[in-house]
Amino acid sequence: MPVYSISHIENVRVCVVMVGLPARGKSLIAQKIVRYLSWLSINSKCFNVGAYRRALVSEKGIDATFFDPRNKVGLEYRESAADAAIEDMMKWFVEENGVVGILDATNSQVERRERILQICRANYIEPMFLESWCDDQALILQNIFDVKTTSPDYVNKDESFATHDFLQRIKYYEETYQTMDKVRDVDLTFVKLINVNSQIIINRIESYLESRIVYYVMNLHIKPRCIWLSRHGESEYNLTGRIGGDANLSERGWRYAKRLPELVLNSLGEENKHTNLTIWTSTLARTQQTASFLPYKKKLQWKALDELDAGECDGMTYEEIEAKFPEDFKARDDNKYEYRYRGGESYRDIVIRLEPIIMELERQENILIITHQAVLRCIYAYFMNVPQEESPWMSIPLHTLIKLEPRAYSTIVSQMKADIPAVSTYKERGTSQLGESSISSYASKSRDLINNSSSLAKK
Amino acid sequence: MGSGESDSYDLELVHGFGSSPIQRSPSASGRRTKRWSFHDSSKPNLVDLPSSSGVNQRRLSDLSGIDGVHKEIDSNHVSPAQLYSTESGRLFHAGKICISLAGLPGRGKTHLSVSLTRYLRWLGVKTHSFHLGDYRRASAEDDIDHDLFIPSSTDPKVHKFRRKIVKNCINDMLNFFQNDKGQVAIYDAVNALPEYRVDLYKKFKELNIQTIFIESLVTDNSIVLKNMKEAAKSSPDYNNWNYEEAYRDYSERIRILTPFYQEMGLTEEEKEISYVKFTNFGERIELHNSNYGYLINKVVFFLMNSRIKVGSVYFARCYNNSVEYADDPPLDEAGKKYAENLSRTIMDYIREQGKTHFDENEEASENVTQMKESSSSSLERVPAAGADGVDENSFVIWTSVKRRTIETTKHFARKGIKIRHRIQLSQKNPGKVGNMTQEEIAKNFPGEYEQLLGDPYHHRFSRGESYHDLAIKLEPLILEMERMSGDILIIADDTVLKVLYGYLMACSCYDIPSLHFPMNEIIEIKFNAYSNSSKTIPIKNYV
Repeated sequence: MPVYSISHIENVRVCVVMVGLPARGKSLIAQKIVRYLSWLSINSKCFNVGAYRRALVSEKGIDATFFDPRNKVGLEYRESAADAAIEDMMKWFVEENGVVGILDATNSQVERRERILQICRANYIEPMFLESWCDDQALILQNIFDVKTTSPDYVNKDESFATHDFLQRIKYYEETYQTMDKVRDVDLTFVKLINVNSQIIINRIESYLESRIVYYVMNLHIKPRCIWLSRHGESEYNLTGRIGGDANLSERGWRYAKRLPELVLNSLGEENKHTNLTIWTSTLARTQQTASFLPYKKKLQWKALDELDAGECDGMTYEEIEAKFPEDFKARDDNKYEYRYRGGESYRDIVIRLEPIIMELERQENILIITHQAVLRCIYAYFMNVPQEESPWMSIPLHTLIKLEPRAYSTIVSQMKADIPAVSTYKERGTSQLGESSISSYASKSRDLINNSSSLAKK
Repeated sequence: MGSGESDSYDLELVHGFGSSPIQRSPSASGRRTKRWSFHDSSKPNLVDLPSSSGVNQRRLSDLSGIDGVHKEIDSNHVSPAQLYSTESGRLFHAGKICISLAGLPGRGKTHLSVSLTRYLRWLGVKTHSFHLGDYRRASAEDDIDHDLFIPSSTDPKVHKFRRKIVKNCINDMLNFFQNDKGQVAIYDAVNALPEYRVDLYKKFKELNIQTIFIESLVTDNSIVLKNMKEAAKSSPDYNNWNYEEAYRDYSERIRILTPFYQEMGLTEEEKEISYVKFTNFGERIELHNSNYGYLINKVVFFLMNSRIKVGSVYFARCYNNSVEYADDPPLDEAGKKYAENLSRTIMDYIREQGKTHFDENEEASENVTQMKESSSSSLERVPAAGADGVDENSFVIWTSVKRRTIETTKHFARKGIKIRHRIQLSQKNPGKVGNMTQEEIAKNFPGEYEQLLGDPYHHRFSRGESYHDLAIKLEPLILEMERMSGDILIIADDTVLKVLYGYLMACSCYDIPSLHFPMNEIIEIKFNAYSNSSKTIPIKNYV
């Protein structure tokens, strides 16, 4: 029962207005910001003007000439698409208590930005312009390659046509492009990233929330790397259905620990078998025992990776909780994300303490994290963009190694089972029984997230 | 440095971020002798400034109100929010860095260097600010000869003098890097000419030290005026001066120096240097050649939130019902009394300063739209809609999410004061020892009690938190606090207050557990360019 709601970011509402020519990584940045903020429970949403345009204009008619600044019809469509996106965003701010809306479009002209500014101000929303400016041709070409293989505008189009057409489209935009200007835009809140952060101009950051967004964007890098996640091996508490505690591994848990090095090697593959991983564990015995056979030198303990603190319910079984605190038990099922155990933590609390870990993960390379069910759900939810109401219900089975490969536009996930039996610690909504039934439709939808997550991430 | 450097760098790579849990090794290698000490007779004793009242040593067990930010840190120093320690003493794979300031007097350079030192030390980065002015004062025959400040002075004596003090200062910085495991030296000087800056950059580059300039520029005259007043009041240059004379002298110094100052980035040679242009104290931040990694990103994050603080931070304890950690009872009668006495003490105290937060807004109106509806011209932007503490004349309260702290604020809530509830402000979880007394802990867990005594800051009882865990958790709040220009009242458990006090007064982690906040006092921390000061306000008995 979440007695008090926590307003985390005061009353500031921000509209991040992306600015920049096509193929400057705007959508990538926009998506990452949304993912990061949503994960922090800051209600945020991206409004992609391209999608609105495609809804207005049938796809077949679109080629580069549509974007010719002299093409009156094209211009009209583009403006109505942008207007519709902004209108929807403003509606979202009001109706859905939005906090950070991102307008993902080129917004390449002063006139358009001025208009957005006025609409934002009229609605008491702080506009922050975020421009990605780039003249590094190699980077642009790489981006074009990404875009034309992923953009809905070029579905089923010939590849060389797509490249050529896209370059032409950029040319048209360049004709009228006006970059953010230190003098003209001196009164605006804007951030200008020049050639992927080699130069950055940060103008008039007016709130802590805005500074958080900028700081996050500054820490992003796109080096290829992998993150492995595993729960600890089955513990003695797991066997008796108790939650929390600081129990040792069960006999089968130890078997998993011994098996884990081999699983990791398999996952790395033959050519990468010498890759050096860093192991992160919690401060609890069961994660350290699980890591004890891994041959890697770098093993760090983080308090922030400890299991959700169940407070007074620590060490109890779900049946005991249901018997002793029936109201709490129900309240938790009704809103598992917000529910804070008496004297303990909620999922939201975990996310707050995990934040430095996430910033560090963005910065780090190959990491294997051995932690606990609730913490793992939260970390997984960040990388896979799992909505809050679903993440606490995800099934993450014991004795399974999950591998995440973050890519520009999605994260690829794969899992390997150790083939060592373990109890199920999954509790469906509305019952104190553990284990996964096939009846409950909600639960099965949620718990399958992991299996469907590659498609989910591309959504 | 030479060959040793690559070794220590690799070592850090091997150990990595967070690799070895911090362990205090108090007497393992003993305290070092100081190699770059200021404490020889010719140099000012920085620890005591500006309150040079003869208090030499900070008393660790009480709130003596002396800011530790200028204190020399020895190489075994462990900071409150430090995540890990390395053999080299350096963190984040960032190597050695000189953050060199540049800018005319009155641009807040000293404030910037001191507040950055505070933040970086808090993170565990061994940082020290080196103020060229201190070296000038220590060496000059006649302190305030304006000729000293003119870069193009034709007087050879002036040139010689400048070279000498710069050399002394740089020498101390190098000693700090080499002998004291220093990681970030902040060089606080005007650095008026490109050649001064390029020379510094080249010299440090040869020694494998990365130099980043932060140039503080001000286009808004009101900021300069404010800084001038501050300097005339508190700059060590004007100790024992009459305020008007000091003010006149300082403005004269700025006037003389201004024509000689050359902005960064205009010469070809400077274009390869990493620098940050910091305009109007955070209004604009421009990063040039900025691929320098996490540590400097942190610095920029800090800069984005750094404001010249006018208001104070007040600490008050939440009423102690000596409850179990997990319990969340409402206030009892004595607690309600305490809440009223606390609220009235603060309100009276703040009213005495001529502030009016408590007089209007009889009805709470937290709604942004309501708040902003009155300003008709929607293109007017200041302040950002809904942001806390933007206004210098503002008052915000932070409490935890516990029922008793929330109830403590109800007198303020009635006055329409903004109250923010933060889960991070909940007390340190004592874990299995619950609310046992020291004696009970010693009796029940003799082994762990030993460990607790050995390192009270980092010791964590099973299922509980250490002060260190709190410090990590509180970091986002610290930046939010830095951003707010007005007054903040933080009502929280004393475990939390200790850590926040530790940040504002630059305590080391050895000091924090032994700080003591009496129930009947409020602590006020005041901000100052050179150092913060704290004082206690007794809570009066109104009821």
